[in-house]
Parts: sequence; C-alpha cells; structure tokens
Amino acid sequence: MIVMRTFKLCVYLLLTPALVLAQDQDMMPMNHDQMSMGDSLVWRMAPMDMSMPMMPGLENELPITAPFLPGSGMDPMMFPEGIPRQVVFMADGDTLHLEASLIRRTIGDKMFVMYGYNHQYPGPLIRADRGSTIVVEFTNNIKMPTTVHWHGLRLDNRFDGVPDVTQAPVANGESFTYEVYFRDTGIYWYHPHMREDIQQDLGLYGNMLVDPLEEDYYPPVNREEVVILDDILMDASGLYPFGESAATHALMGRFGNVMLVNGETSYDLVVDKGSVVRFFLTNVANSRTFNVVFDGAPIKIVASDVSKFEHDAWITSVVIAPAERYVVDVRFPESRSYSMTNTIQAINHFRGEFYPHIDTLGTINVGSSAADPDLRESFASLRTNTDVTADIDTFRPYFNKEIDYEINMIVEVENLPLPIVRLMEIDTLYVPPMEWNDAMPMMNWLSSTDQVEWILEDVATGKRNMDIGWVFQQGDIKKIRLFNNPKSFHPMNHPFHMHGQRFLVLSLDGVPNTNLVWKDTAIVPVGSTMDILLDASNPGKWMAHCHISEHLHAGMMTMFEVVEKEEAQ
Amino acid sequence: MRFRALTSALVLSAFAMTLGAWTDPFSVNPGNSGCVVDEIDSDPPAYYRIDLITTRKVTGTRLATGTADVTYVPSPFGVSISPRGTYIYDLDIQINNAKAPREGEYAVWVTTPDLKNVRLLGTLDEDHHIQGRVDWNKYLVVVSLETEIGDRWSGPIVLRGMSRSGLMHTMAGHGPFETENCAVYGYS
Repeated sequence: MIVMRTFKLCVYLLLTPALVLAQDQDMMPMNHDQMSMGDSLVWRMAPMDMSMPMMPGLENELPITAPFLPGSGMDPMMFPEGIPRQVVFMADGDTLHLEASLIRRTIGDKMFVMYGYNHQYPGPLIRADRGSTIVVEFTNNIKMPTTVHWHGLRLDNRFDGVPDVTQAPVANGESFTYEVYFRDTGIYWYHPHMREDIQQDLGLYGNMLVDPLEEDYYPPVNREEVVILDDILMDASGLYPFGESAATHALMGRFGNVMLVNGETSYDLVVDKGSVVRFFLTNVANSRTFNVVFDGAPIKIVASDVSKFEHDAWITSVVIAPAERYVVDVRFPESRSYSMTNTIQAINHFRGEFYPHIDTLGTINVGSSAADPDLRESFASLRTNTDVTADIDTFRPYFNKEIDYEINMIVEVENLPLPIVRLMEIDTLYVPPMEWNDAMPMMNWLSSTDQVEWILEDVATGKRNMDIGWVFQQGDIKKIRLFNNPKSFHPMNHPFHMHGQRFLVLSLDGVPNTNLVWKDTAIVPVGSTMDILLDASNPGKWMAHCHISEHLHAGMMTMFEVVEKEEAQ
Repeated sequence: MRFRALTSALVLSAFAMTLGAWTDPFSVNPGNSGCVVDEIDSDPPAYYRIDLITTRKVTGTRLATGTADVTYVPSPFGVSISPRGTYIYDLDIQINNAKAPREGEYAVWVTTPDLKNVRLLGTLDEDHHIQGRVDWNKYLVVVSLETEIGDRWSGPIVLRGMSRSGLMHTMAGHGPFETENCAVYGYS
C-alpha cells in the first residue's frame, strides 16, 4: 500500500504537451472529453505535483463513478452570495433556524456554487452556556438528503443526526427539529452525517462554543478567536469534482490543495504587542492533519475536545487531526507580523524523500501599542486544573483493568486498476505513521469507496464494522485497544471518533499519558496501539468511526449501544 | 574523499542490514488483508523498531545484537511532531551479547543518512542500555567504541541500524519507473 503512495501517480511529463498550464503546478487540469459523464461535467486529471512522472498504466484511468458538483452548469449568480460566519448567542430554550442551501462563493478570483448553513461560511457560530439546551429547526434546501450531527456533544441520542440510526434522512425541502444540549464546556462543531466527503467539504460545517459557568475556567486572555481549519481541492478549472455514486479518494481521503481558515484563503488578525490570544481550533478537513505553527510565538495548550487538560502545557505546534479540537493560548510578544502556518514534512515517494512543506494559513499583525491588560505574568504560569483531575480521579481505578475490546484497523480492496494494485503489492517496505499530504494523488483519486473497504475488526469475535454490535450498560467504563495494523494493504492514520460519549487516551504504544484530557476523537498513527477508556454514560445507539470522510464512507464505522440504567435493570 | 567513501559504506551497509532484518515483507492479497490478529500488545511498534547489526570488527562484539525501540515523545496530541514537521521519537536502545570493552566505552549516536548531522545520545550503561531522543524522520543509529568522546565518532563502529524510513528510496530508474531518465531528476 505504501508503495502506492510511493509512486504518486503522475504522467504529467508524458502528457505535458496536452496540458494547459494552470495557476500553479499543483493545479494542472486535463479534460478527458471522451469521458464526459453528462451535463458539462467531466473528470479532469487529478491535481498533482508535476515534478514527478506519472505511474505507467494510469494515463487513461478514471474513477468508476461519475463526477459530481452541485449546481454544475448553472450560473453561480443564481444563488445568494455566501457571507462570513455570524455569531449567534443562544440562551437556554432559544430556537435557531438553520437551513442548508446552495450559495455562491468566491475563492481566489473564481466564483463557485457551494453549500452553506444560513448562507454563511462557516455556518453560524453558536455560542451558549454550559448546561443550556437550544432548539434547532433545521431545513434542508440542498438536493441531497442530509442530517446535522452535533460533534462531541453528549446530547440526547434522538438528536445525534445519524441517518437511519437516530433519525430518517432529511430530504430536500424537509425539516427536522433538534434539541441540542450543551453538557460540557468547550469548542464543538456541527456537520452533516451523509456524504460528508461532499457536503462538509463544500461548506456545511460550523462551530458551537460552549461557555463555562465559572469565571476563571480558562486562564485570562486579551482576545478569543474561533478558527476552523480546512482545505479544498481545486484545479485551474475550479472546484475539483466529487464522485457521484461513491466517494473518490478512498485510499487516503481527499486532501485539498488550497488551505482555508474560516472558509477564507486568508486569515488576518491585528493585536496589540504582548497580547495573549486564545485560539479555539477545529479541523474540518476531510483527511488532512495539520501541524499549526505560530512563527515562534509561545503556545500554551489548555483544552481539547471535551475538557481542559489536567495541566496546561507548553507546546511548539498544534497537531490537529480531522474533527479534533484544541484550545491554545498564544502570546505575541514582539511588534511584528507572525505567520500561522501548516508546517509539515511531506513525502516524495518517487524520490524516496521527506521534504519540508509550509502553507501559510494566516497572519497575526502585532502593533506597537502594549496590550491592556498585560497578561505576561499569568501567561507564564501553567495551571493545574484540579476540577479536571478530580473528575478523572473517579476513573483512575479502571486505568489498569483488563482490555475489554480490541480493534484491528485494516483495509481491503477489490477491482482497483491493476497498476495500482501492483504498486501497492510491492510497496511494503515503509509506511509513514502519518500522511501529511496526498503523496499519490492519481492513485488515490482512482480509488472509490466501492473498491476500498476500511475495516474496524473486533479481534475477539472477528466481526467487522457494523456487525460488531457492542452493548454497554449505562455507567460502564470500558477499556478499548485500537491497533492500526501496519501490515494492512494500505495502512493510514485514523482519527477515531465516538459519538455521544467521552473517552481518555490512556496510552500510546504502551507509553502512559501523563496529562489526560477528555476526548471524542483521537488519532491512531500507523503501527501504533492506543488504549482508551470509555465513559459509557449516555444511553442510546451511537456510532464510532474514522473521521476521514472517505474512510467513513468506505465502511470504517461501527455502532454501539449504551443501555439505559433502568432499562438494563 | 576517504570520509565520503566511509559514509557511503556505512549508509549502504546499514541499509542492507536493515533490509535484511526486514525481509519478511508480508505478502499482500488485496482481497484478504491477511492482517487478522489474535491479540494486540501495547509494546512499542514492532514495525518501526530498528535492528542494530554488528560490524563484527570489534573484539567481543562479533555476536552482538541490538534493537532500538521507537515511541513518540509524550505529547498532548499522542503523535509528537516538531515545529519543522518531523516526528520526535524516544529511542530505547538495548545491546545484547557484547562484552564490556577492555578500554573505552560504547557511545551511541544518531545521524542523518548523509552523516552531515551527528548527535551523541550518550554511552551505554553497564547493562548496555540507553535512552535518547531524535527529531529526524530518516536517520541512522550508530554504536561506536570510543576512548574519548568528541563531536562525532572516531572509534570503530560496533553496530549500526537505520530507521525504517530508510527503506524509502528513489524510484527513478527502478521498477515501474525503470525507463525514466534519471538525469531529469538530478541523478547521475
């Protein structure tokens, strides 16, 4: 499998004369007119790095599914222009009307038809107090059926937004009423749970910022910023099509080549000298894990998905996988511009090399006026969060319990183009722990969720994905071992997400975690074994799955039931 | 010139020995993962473990073996990544079947494959064990016999091994790309 990434695709050199130069070498379009799939939409060559040769034999291959883009062939001016996200302050019992619809967006100098909640990108930022419940009257005005999943919230199971599990899909023109309960302080997000690879990627996502009831819950800061990280795949012709009947990019997930912060290609912030800024970060990308660096500014990590850490800690970058959230405080001590970058070591399989790659996500411009108040002193101290530790203490007796369940993460494929299979077969010598870039864009693009099955396998029973069927009693504390099997056909890191509950990451590869935090999503690198402790406290039927959209659609999900205490008795 | 030759020899030998140690490339059947497991342990990943191979050039180490277990430096994110984007690993190195040297001590180094960057992890303890840290994605582990510790090894190399990523090498002129003109990519 690896190899496959290894050989990144690419025939460009062979086809150079036929190519039309796009805006840059990563956005090279090629129209296969003979492959037209109706309307005017055709598959174009996957955007890729032109410095490598294409894998022989792939020149004429196309995905087995037709290309799809919403509003294809329609004048974008027919649709309302998308507007930047607005903050909606919600009190307990308030009602929000939320609508999914087509909107007009401009990215770079091009206009596209995309999706939006309430015509906004991202969707409205819902701000509410911990302990409150709001009502969301949702209406679907996009052609595809959809739902809204409230990621990370431990809410009533009926409103979790999983099609055919907690609700029927919301068809075009129909509505569904959600009651959204904010049990825990923190940053959360909402998104569809149907064809996320398309709907989410095209703009259906938004944050919920749940405010604490305690005044000093977080350390003091001068400013708060809610930042959504994303990427989108484009070429010179515009948005790159999705698979209509099945998701493409099933092997590695769909990596974008244009970085978005809060839906924009640029993010600019102006602060005073010495300011401490709290960033509530959410990664909504289909597949990309970011390594966010703040240009040398000191970073203090405070919280993650469902709680604060036991202890604040200094970090030098923020590693954030799809669906994860992190809360970090950053101090900007000098009067200058600080860049916010995604700084990675990408892989060039053709050359067999790692190489540094930096995408600038935004800029923080620091003025010469001193921040007021001066928070230098409080920023310099690392707090111990006794409230978090006290909560976790009740679970500590279970840390050394026997493993209750073991999950083997693997993949199987069938009917992929022969050159891809051959390459995958010989590419067994090195698999990186994490995929930071799409190192094999053509091969990845050609793999669909009809040809690739990503698998969660229960080691004890051999059951896979939706057949696993775990049943817990409310109040159960279960220890689950996740193993990302490196000997699988094409292993890749998986951000593992459990709905409606919270869990602790106890250890990675046998190394105990000494600074715990409640999570709902955690990344399992290739070859690694992660032990998590699940607090099965919220009754209902819930999903657990990889949060790489294409892996989810390629089957990497299961369902578990938490039986209500009274019912269990 | 001599250093370059030594460098090449070291890298090639480390690569060859590493490859030899890993020549169990599981056969892959796309229709059946062949990856069913009976039990999963939580030890450091065997997949990324570095086998250290003796050079057989130092008295008392001809039968020596060694391993470097690779785990992530504890991090709030699980996986540990530097601001440069490289992995940050803890190495747990254990050498077996090596006699204590009559003179000097066994020093453990990590180096990038081109040997331009060399860092001393320290010297083996009396149990021939050491822990250290590395933040390169591709690197060699070198154990040498030193009478005096300098910036880089000067004594004979006792054992060496390469990170698994060392198995990733250029495809130009090889396999499906054997007809590619290597010169286009800067290879002679």
